Amino acid sequence: MADAPLLELRAITKRFPGVLANDDVNFDLRRGEVHALLGENGAGKSTLMNILYGLYTPDSGEILLDGKHIDLGSTKAAIEHGIGMVHQHFMLIPVMTVAENIVLATEPRHMGVLLDYDAARKRVRELSERYGLAVDPDSRIDRITVGQQQRVEILKALYRGAEILILDEPTAVLTPQEAQELFEIIRSLKSQGKSIIFISHKLNEVLDIADRITTLRRGVVVDTIPAEGATEESLARMMVGREVLLRVDKHASTPGAPLLQVEDLSVIDDRGLEAVRDVSFEVRGGEIVGLAGVDANGQSELIDAIAGLRNPAAGRVVVDGHDLTHANAKEALEAGVGHIPEDRHRRGLILPFSLTENIALHGYRTPPNSRNGFLNLGTMLSRARRLLKEFDVRGGQPSTPAGALSGGNQQKVVLAREIDGDPKVLIAAQPTRGLDVGAIEFVHRRLVEQRDAGRAVFLVSLELEEVLSLSDRILVIYEGRIVGEFPPTATEEELGFAMTGGKRGEEAAA
Amino acid sequence: MSDADLEQAPPPLPPGEVPSPSQQLTSRFGGLSGVVAPIITTVIAFIMGGLVVLFTGKNPLKVYHAVFNGTGINWFFHVGNHHARVPFSTHKMWFPWDTASIAAGNLQQTLLLTTPIILTGLALAFAFRCGLFNIGGQGQYTAGTIFAVWLGTSFVHLNPFLHVMLCLIAGTLAGAVWAGIAGILKATVGAHEVISTIMLNWIAYWVGSYLFGEGGPLQGSQPSIPISNDIAEGAKLPVFWGIALLQGLSVGIFIAIGMLVVYWLIINRTTLGFEVRAVGFNPEAARYGGVSVARNYFLAMAISGSFAGLAGALDITGWEYRIGENDIQASSIGFIGLAAALLGRNTALGAGVASLLFGALINGTSGRQLDPSIFRPDLAGNLTTIIQGLVILFVGLNLGGIGLWLKKRRKPA
Amino acid sequence: MTAIAARVGGIRWTDAKTIGIAGIAIGAIAFWLALPPLASRTAVLPILLGILAIAAGIWTWSREQHRIGGGAVAAGVLGIIFGVLATRSSEAHLDTVVVWSALLAATLRYATPLTFAAIGGLFCERSGVINVALEGMLLTGAFFGIWGAIWAHGWAPGWEWVIGLITASLAGMAMAAVHAFWAIHLKVDQIISGTAINFLALGITGYIFIDKYGDSGTPGNVADYGIPDVHLHFLNNWYFVGPILGQLNLMIWLSFVLLIATYIFVFRTPYGLRLRSVGEHPRAADTVGISVYKIRYMAVIGSGAIAAMGGAYLSLGFVHSFNENMTSGTGFIGLAALVFGKWRPFPTWCATLLFGFSSALSDRLPNAYGNQWGTLFNALPYVLTIVAVAGVIGRSIGPAAAGRPYEKQ
Repeated sequence: MADAPLLELRAITKRFPGVLANDDVNFDLRRGEVHALLGENGAGKSTLMNILYGLYTPDSGEILLDGKHIDLGSTKAAIEHGIGMVHQHFMLIPVMTVAENIVLATEPRHMGVLLDYDAARKRVRELSERYGLAVDPDSRIDRITVGQQQRVEILKALYRGAEILILDEPTAVLTPQEAQELFEIIRSLKSQGKSIIFISHKLNEVLDIADRITTLRRGVVVDTIPAEGATEESLARMMVGREVLLRVDKHASTPGAPLLQVEDLSVIDDRGLEAVRDVSFEVRGGEIVGLAGVDANGQSELIDAIAGLRNPAAGRVVVDGHDLTHANAKEALEAGVGHIPEDRHRRGLILPFSLTENIALHGYRTPPNSRNGFLNLGTMLSRARRLLKEFDVRGGQPSTPAGALSGGNQQKVVLAREIDGDPKVLIAAQPTRGLDVGAIEFVHRRLVEQRDAGRAVFLVSLELEEVLSLSDRILVIYEGRIVGEFPPTATEEELGFAMTGGKRGEEAAA
Repeated sequence: MSDADLEQAPPPLPPGEVPSPSQQLTSRFGGLSGVVAPIITTVIAFIMGGLVVLFTGKNPLKVYHAVFNGTGINWFFHVGNHHARVPFSTHKMWFPWDTASIAAGNLQQTLLLTTPIILTGLALAFAFRCGLFNIGGQGQYTAGTIFAVWLGTSFVHLNPFLHVMLCLIAGTLAGAVWAGIAGILKATVGAHEVISTIMLNWIAYWVGSYLFGEGGPLQGSQPSIPISNDIAEGAKLPVFWGIALLQGLSVGIFIAIGMLVVYWLIINRTTLGFEVRAVGFNPEAARYGGVSVARNYFLAMAISGSFAGLAGALDITGWEYRIGENDIQASSIGFIGLAAALLGRNTALGAGVASLLFGALINGTSGRQLDPSIFRPDLAGNLTTIIQGLVILFVGLNLGGIGLWLKKRRKPA
Repeated sequence: MTAIAARVGGIRWTDAKTIGIAGIAIGAIAFWLALPPLASRTAVLPILLGILAIAAGIWTWSREQHRIGGGAVAAGVLGIIFGVLATRSSEAHLDTVVVWSALLAATLRYATPLTFAAIGGLFCERSGVINVALEGMLLTGAFFGIWGAIWAHGWAPGWEWVIGLITASLAGMAMAAVHAFWAIHLKVDQIISGTAINFLALGITGYIFIDKYGDSGTPGNVADYGIPDVHLHFLNNWYFVGPILGQLNLMIWLSFVLLIATYIFVFRTPYGLRLRSVGEHPRAADTVGISVYKIRYMAVIGSGAIAAMGGAYLSLGFVHSFNENMTSGTGFIGLAALVFGKWRPFPTWCATLLFGFSSALSDRLPNAYGNQWGTLFNALPYVLTIVAVAGVIGRSIGPAAAGRPYEKQ
């Protein structure tokens, strides 16, 4: 071949306790190409790239750069070999400036010991002009947008002389518009001779940007093919091993009385900014209302306000006729708000608690779980037994600590507790995050069952596909405002447009 | 379970995600594996303490032997044909041990000292269960003693039962209030309880010194001696073993043991304990579950303080009967409770056993029990502090973690 | 328009925060007016000003600025209490206590061990390791400082205090190394291991002290070869400044140097940037090739050396003797000062001055009011620390990774 690979990974194997993350993986990267690494969550993409970036040591296999064997025992070694990585969760220090973050560990100096801030700023400006990555070197990281933060990450790698850039799920946190800007940057980097590894599980993106595509499935390389000629269907088959069918069987909804009413709600977030502005909507019994939006557009604050975890600044929350505007979590629970939280480790479960205790977490105060302040352990236990069976929770007894279960089974425990609490309104926030296909189907089926049982289901998800397939009506949130309502027949493009603030412009014009 | 599911099973410690300190605190001490580690810890601490003794030119075996003889534990080894008086009566009955031997007297002392350590240990343990580090057991203990002395020296003609109950309840409440200050500050403005309880310790120290010092409002009738009057006879707890004048064992030990049961009940069988543990493990998840985190912080501190306050009141009504400026300044019972709670892994039974260990250690090294020709008691007192420090240092260790670390070291990277 | 008008002078005068801070200041003035040299004799003035401060506090509280509002209320209440107490005392008493120049010099003396402790803590906590062991490190320094000097007295005349400082820092570093190993490698809860260090320091220093100096205590002549004072004779005739700065211990001047050096190191050098990055986001630091463990070890062990110097000053430069548990909470007050100063050198120093001032005051009060009340006044620095912790520090946000052990991937 004319193009000798710049970088070659040969027969990489990496094993974690109980998991074979990479099994005899071969991968190569040519100079000036974008090579996409495609795979589902947990397919072993991140493990492979962490090996390449010196964060993990492979159990066997070797890495060649320009045909020569290299040792990557540390990130330092990787950086010295011209490998840079933009992590999915940014490795930026929020309280420091852009320039400080970029020069960290290879700082320009003044008189040998002092940090030369002027030189740092100058270098950052030079780099950002050269590659078209506009950022202000003096801004603090926690005061700039996610898109800008990503540029800082790329600049960080370039500042260190990276020739090979690893982008780990770079579009996961971006709006479609920001993603397009990122693709422009990638093309510009490519034209200047940089080689890029682009990790993703989104098929359309991969087809859009990559020259070649390598697909990983359960730690094994399925194939490496040129992007030209590949289709979404062929890639999906490679990625999942069967046709993807994310369709939920459900019949038309029969909405009843409104059970959740939100009127002109405004909520302040932890930083003191207005995260939810003047939001009004209602959810009727027997329907699923989906809330679509890019991450961090006020969804979490909105959910918190409804569930009594955050006091709204203005507006009203009414559940089945009860005003819950200034209720606390306990009052919200008692009024019939069930809540599947977006982070089951932080909120949904107390990991060292037994499953019995976790299932009792919402009902321990009231009979039959307790009387006169004393717990009724027998009742708690039999309820746990029943629910674990009913919701097919595997891998644990009632006495097992929740932390010992797999993610899917943990989510089933949360689901069981919330549904068994007989809520009028069920908030499901990212209910399938990090779950495998089987567990996703289970959760979806249960949510539709709840709808059919006459409950009001409010689904908040970052996955457009999920929102589209489950919802009876779809609301779109952007910068804390509801910017549109769509029927479930809407296309991803229509929603995506609204999610980036497109609709608001129209309204302003109208 | 599918393979994909397996992959998503959280590894014991996901890389980069270490449990928060309060999670570590609470989870590490709750497990069933918690018997071997405390024993190893104790052995290590005593060996290292022995090395200190050795380096300063004394024979640690002789020292430990002398200390052990002072504890009175050896009383149990001398079984014979004896008679004992049935407590609170004149009847005698057969008994396998000699209740009037010297060892018996030593054992009474050990149990007298164990009583407040159990309670300050429970104080610490209760706070730990809520994820709080109440290092102010000493100040709460002092608050309890102050109120017990104050009420014990007043109301001289009160019905004895009422009087002693009044002293105990007032001491308990005083401890609760003293700790409750730190609890309120934690709950409302988030002031860290370690700093505020340490400061409260020192405030109690100086307030106590002022009250019982020369010219202080609670100083006794002898103007030049900074000691309070004795509490009224009616405010004294009955002594059931030994002679009251020689500091016999009062029924306080049973109150302390009763409190172990109360602690166990609250923690494991009540909704309050459920909430406290939930907050201790994961405050955010508890809040989501409708638990008021702030309320539990306050309650846990107040309950914790009430155990320590009761400890102070029991000491006054059980055997001290009076308190002086020096007693307030020299006491360190609250801190010993810290070591007892940690060694006992915050469980009722564990705290009880660990308290007995420390009670024996402190009694065995006290000036009253230890022969100065073998080892100076004030040196021994510091040795006890060192052993406490070592216990706290080693008991927090995750033994599995060390194994892992050693394994990593052996394998060259 | 009103918003613009209200922002005249660059300060938002109607801002709740501004009002609240003004309230705190008014509360302080309420007390100050009653003290010499002004020594207002009427109780009305402090009461009026105190009420004003409380009102400002309540108003601020109602504007959701709970912390500052609470601070102003507390300042108002304390202003009234102390102001009225001062007006009720005889003027002669006040003059004995409040000799400003002597009081300020004493403030510096009491603040210095706090400064060393707090700066030591700053390095440690900026690297992401919580240090409640400052108390023990201070005590270790206090004992081994004086021990080293006494030991050197026989063979290094004139250099005793230098040797003392060296032995103090070495001992402090040894203690800190244990804390570091436990916190960094063994990943034990840092508050637990810090507490253990405090007990160990208490026991070890007490043990060796009794073993070596037993009944008679440390030799009485330590003052002759302790850390020297710096005499600035040219200042002698300067009004007010002379009595304050004219004769201060060398360590006080060193603490000033330490402050400036710390500021430059932490905020102006690459090493400081790395230190802070490790404390804020260790994984980010790791991914650019910074050794998190190495920096944390250096920071913790360095903090032991610095805190121990503060202890050495206490025994070898201030009271010229050692007693069991002589630091009596100083390390914890230093820690509070660090939190109070938001982990920045100069604000932290201001906090140590505040606590030092209260110690100086409690030290002088018995002169006027007799020993009995003096005993009670000893509690003043601790009360003030609680008020500070509660009123103003509250949820003061420290380094993001503080207290969290770092697990390498």
